[in-house]
Amino acid sequence: MWAKLRRRRGSLSWIGARRPVSVDSPRAIGTSRALSDRIFRGVSRGGGVTVLAIMLLVGLFLLIRAWQALSVSGWSFLTVSSWDPDAGAGHFGIAAVLIGTVLIALVAIVIALPVSVATALYISEYAPERLKKALITLVDLMAAIPSVVFGLWGFFFLQGAVTDIARWLATTFGWIPLFAVEGFDPSDPLGSMTVFTSSSFVAGIVVAAMITPIMTSIMREVFSQAPVGEREGALALGSTKWGMIRSVVLPYGAGGIIGGSMLGLGRALGETIAVYMIISPVFVIQPHILQNGASSVSSLIALRYGEASEFAMSALMAAGLALFLMTLVVNFVASSIASRSRSGVDS
Amino acid sequence: MNFWSQARRIGAAVAVAVFVSLTVPMQSASAADYVPINGAGSSWSSNALDQWRRNVQQYGMRINYASTGSSDGRNQFKNGTVDFAVSEIPYGVKDGNSVDGLPSRSFAYMPIVAGGTAFMYNLQIGGKRVTNLRLSGEVIAKIFTGVITKWNDPKIAADNPSLTLPSRAIVPVVRSDGSGSTAQFTTWMASQQSSVWDSYCKAAGRPTPCGVTSNYPTVDGKGFVAQPNSQGVAGYVKQTANIGTITYVEYSYALKTGFPVAKVLNQSGYYVEPTASNVAVALLKAEINTDKGSDQYLTQKLEKVYTNKDPRAYPLSSYSYMIVPTATQNGFTADKGKTLGAFANYFLCEGQQQADALGYSPLPINLVKAGLAQVKLIPGVESSSVDIKSCNNPTFSKDGTNTLAKNAAMPSACDKRGASAQCAVGTGGATATTNPGAGSGGQKSSGAGSDSGAGAGTGTATGTNEGGTSATDEAGTNDTADGTGDGSSAGTEGGVVLGATAGGGPVSCDNDTGVCQNVVAEPITVASDSAWGTQQNAALIAVALLLAVIFVPPTIARLVRERRSR
Amino acid sequence: MVDASMSAARVVPDRKFTAPRADDPATPAPEPRRVLHAVRIADLLAVGGALLAAVSVTVVIFTTLTPFGGFYGFVAITGTGFIAFYSLLTWLDSDGQMVRDRIAAAVVHMLAASVLVVLVFVVAFTLMRGAEVLPFKNFYLEDMSSTGPLDPLTMGGIQHAIVGSLIQISIALVITVPLGLTTAICLTEIPGPFSRFVRTIVEAMTGLPSIVAGLFVYATLILILGMDKSGFAAAIAISIMMLPIMVRSSDVVLRLVPGTLREASIGLGATQWQTVRRVVLPTARSGLTTAIILATARGIGETSPVLLTSGFTAALNTDPFHGPMVSLPLAIFEFVKSPEPAMIARGFGTGAVLLLLVVTLFVIARIIGRQDASSRARRVDVFQKFVAGLKSAWAFLLRTPSLFVAGVVRPVLRAFAWVNRVFGRGGEK
Repeated sequence: MWAKLRRRRGSLSWIGARRPVSVDSPRAIGTSRALSDRIFRGVSRGGGVTVLAIMLLVGLFLLIRAWQALSVSGWSFLTVSSWDPDAGAGHFGIAAVLIGTVLIALVAIVIALPVSVATALYISEYAPERLKKALITLVDLMAAIPSVVFGLWGFFFLQGAVTDIARWLATTFGWIPLFAVEGFDPSDPLGSMTVFTSSSFVAGIVVAAMITPIMTSIMREVFSQAPVGEREGALALGSTKWGMIRSVVLPYGAGGIIGGSMLGLGRALGETIAVYMIISPVFVIQPHILQNGASSVSSLIALRYGEASEFAMSALMAAGLALFLMTLVVNFVASSIASRSRSGVDS
Repeated sequence: MNFWSQARRIGAAVAVAVFVSLTVPMQSASAADYVPINGAGSSWSSNALDQWRRNVQQYGMRINYASTGSSDGRNQFKNGTVDFAVSEIPYGVKDGNSVDGLPSRSFAYMPIVAGGTAFMYNLQIGGKRVTNLRLSGEVIAKIFTGVITKWNDPKIAADNPSLTLPSRAIVPVVRSDGSGSTAQFTTWMASQQSSVWDSYCKAAGRPTPCGVTSNYPTVDGKGFVAQPNSQGVAGYVKQTANIGTITYVEYSYALKTGFPVAKVLNQSGYYVEPTASNVAVALLKAEINTDKGSDQYLTQKLEKVYTNKDPRAYPLSSYSYMIVPTATQNGFTADKGKTLGAFANYFLCEGQQQADALGYSPLPINLVKAGLAQVKLIPGVESSSVDIKSCNNPTFSKDGTNTLAKNAAMPSACDKRGASAQCAVGTGGATATTNPGAGSGGQKSSGAGSDSGAGAGTGTATGTNEGGTSATDEAGTNDTADGTGDGSSAGTEGGVVLGATAGGGPVSCDNDTGVCQNVVAEPITVASDSAWGTQQNAALIAVALLLAVIFVPPTIARLVRERRSR
Repeated sequence: MVDASMSAARVVPDRKFTAPRADDPATPAPEPRRVLHAVRIADLLAVGGALLAAVSVTVVIFTTLTPFGGFYGFVAITGTGFIAFYSLLTWLDSDGQMVRDRIAAAVVHMLAASVLVVLVFVVAFTLMRGAEVLPFKNFYLEDMSSTGPLDPLTMGGIQHAIVGSLIQISIALVITVPLGLTTAICLTEIPGPFSRFVRTIVEAMTGLPSIVAGLFVYATLILILGMDKSGFAAAIAISIMMLPIMVRSSDVVLRLVPGTLREASIGLGATQWQTVRRVVLPTARSGLTTAIILATARGIGETSPVLLTSGFTAALNTDPFHGPMVSLPLAIFEFVKSPEPAMIARGFGTGAVLLLLVVTLFVIARIIGRQDASSRARRVDVFQKFVAGLKSAWAFLLRTPSLFVAGVVRPVLRAFAWVNRVFGRGGEK
């Protein structure tokens, strides 16, 4: 669109300068941009290149550092679930850790998505004008609560509260493999509640609390940009408020919902300290989200880097690289979906 | 509507913020004759270093210490990014298959602070917290390798004649991050309980013999919990819901958390607490490798500490090192050496006075001597000030008498193995005495335990279990058969069976025994979720009826009205 | 719970207004104003009644019918009950369309409330645990250099961490704001394969474990380039964390600027640069503020990249290039690891200070970045009223000839006018 517009304008002015307007003959179409535009485009491309360079550098750094471990382990890195790099090839792999990361992120996003869409709608559509600003500030504030504080809150406060819910879920929905808890017998009163602590579920809830504000902020921003004319049109046609939201705000904000969710998912996948403080790491594929024992790549790095040998460090980097690549794929898929919505550009 | 003017304004605001923060007056300028030094490493020792750092500030020394973990400290020292490191593990130790090579810069190990590995636990009998648990080394090793899984295991009962422990599962809480306390604990395991430790390591997929490691291996399905940081494990054990947990942690965390620690059986048959003096007494036997050709030159040899015959000695005692440079390289200068030397001289002598208050134990005379010898190797140190005679250390007097060995309190008689009743006085941070089940059946059955002693663990097992389950016939017979049939392993098995049965039927349990008291006294929601029976169905129907009564009439009314209006 | 504006969608005239009489076109009857935001008493009754019914039914269920227990169960059942009763009540006198509207509104309100409750909980938790240390003045004005684990709360403070955080986040903002905005503009204004590629990479980077950013800086700046562990290294690590978030969230909001606006600008003969500067950026102003705020929020509260790069010190260090410099999250992390209760209290106190600092920064940012017409108008209004008041006062003073007073007031007025020009931007309109 841009190039087309600029071209038209540029060539017109050029024509206007050279020839009398009345002459109507075939004209050469060329793009000549103003100097300011050329500088602008150069500078902003430069910014893009710089950011790209930094990001690629980080990726490259990961790859180089990971190479040592990857060359030893080969493909077994993807299939082995235990993590003991010092024991050599076949003893360390990301099968369990990566799945654990995904589980925590999924729990987080499943909780955070409806909640943040609703909160964003509340702030942009329902909240009284006076409350709005306070709410925006509150949500921003929540986004800035350090992950250490969230971790402490989750560890000291939430964990105790959530075990009851987890117990109920395990008792009621234990027949679904996802909610099954090994070693939990509902009829045993002396059964320890420790089986419900430090699980993917608890970690997921804490991470959900961390990503909700980010997602809410982005979504609210996008919702509030929904064209006023269309909103008024919908209302004038007799739509209810919810009808208006469904037919105008949500379709318009689909890109924002996806963008915000992806941002949240990114943070959920990469969250380090809060997860580190809560989970009890296990290195087997652990599909039971309510059960004690979970794992995540970034908390693995945080847990192990302090006492890691050179080779173990390289293995940790390889795990980081795997997470990076996974995020890349997830985002790629998401952005191709987002670009179909109205608020997403067709780039 | 000019964005850029606003951007300029933001920029200006930021600049002002920076300017304001830059002009905040410096609190205290360091004295001219000491340059600041940086260190990193052990979080185990950080509490002591933090206090010492603060104390030497008044002499104009600026010590920056980051507690990022022992291995990180060693790596940073190797890379030359810090001036000193603190670590529990020396260089060159094989952890799994990787060997941490020696750094290229020249260095020396210096003992800095000692402490015992304490076992903090959260356990209740009849709703009252147990504060006087006693454990032998073998039991500790078996608990932390998942061999002993229930608190009413006969082996634990043998150590605790006065306690009737419930058939709760033991939940060992270990460190999930690489840590010095894990290293100290596993040093002891590898040295004293190697067979149990090796078989556990094998199950965890580690190469055997399994030596020292700073990452505690976990085997899936054993019900272990792993948490990061000492604060993490202590905080986890502390949580009220987590009854039945036990962890290894620094003594100070148990003290400040207000939780008890287990008394550990030493070589002379006493159960002792990891108090400052008990650890220091044990460390009097610490040896230092003096073979200059060895990679392990100047590192600790603790075998004799673990088997110290002194009745006061706490077996799981060890100390951490400071790794100091002995040459001016990697950015280390004589000026820095002067600061480091003065700092080291301070903490080896004066600084040890506060070790007790900080939850550590002061270094005994043999280690201080070894440490001061290393201080002299630091380039730039004022060696004239380094003298053991002027050393104000609490464990020995100025004339070199070992006051610690003379003055440390002996354990009381009730702490001796085989004494008729164990001490009821609380341990660690929990000072309340434990006197559970006085006059109950539990007391009676435990009498058998104390008579038979540790050697006859099997016999004790049978006795305790029978007493505990006299109400449940099935379990009783089952148990007796096992107990008489085989050795100690069968006894353990019997305990497990009992646990499951007794737990399954809380109603049928006998109120007189300790086990059942526990079951009854605990606030357990023996709720609808246990089984789906007639009662639950009735409740469900009642709820449905209630909702129907509320919802049906208005619905009908609305439908009727709609039809009429049509 | 459900406020007045909920019923805004239902524009129901409260009174019947009289139509203008056709026979007298010259003097039409004044059309009565309709109250659009009318709250019908029935709406309030429905909400209140449903709530009352839900609570009482839940109480009955919990106390007499079933052995349920627990606070969370109570809340959950009450919530479900409320939705059921509320929709029933609405359905009694409206159609399905309206019931759906009400249910949606109720759900949105409940979920939003739950988020706010969690937020208040986290903040209150931090404040409560830190309340012990917050009253001490020394907590804000001293560093920890002469305070050890055994010292009471009356000694030592976190001045060094506050200053460190401000310096680090300032450096990080100086790096990320221009770079991030330029990149985001590049992504939206110069679309093409290059932009797509950059976008994909940047998006993937939002999932970068924060500790990897720290490791990257540690391995490159500190190990290879031989830089000190310092505030600057930490700021670089934070910048790497913040950049993807900055770029991504500004990208999301820049995409929202309607293409028609750009076309109009181009149509009027503006160059692309002029369009971006005069149309795109101002339109996305509040969104860009949000982007900066989100990035700042992430950067200022992040521990793991700083853990490896800034070093740790207990003393104040105002030089970002030399020597270790502590930030607030790192201070929290170190404080709460300690066994000493005083240190843990300091940790939570530090958390509370961090929250306060963040709130202050964000409020300032929102004021600067405010965009919606009503608030701008109100701000302009306030200033104009203020200035008008002053002017009338000035006029009054002129009438009472007193040179002395005029000499004092004139400079003051000038100052106000300046303030108005700088902050109010009312004059520019």
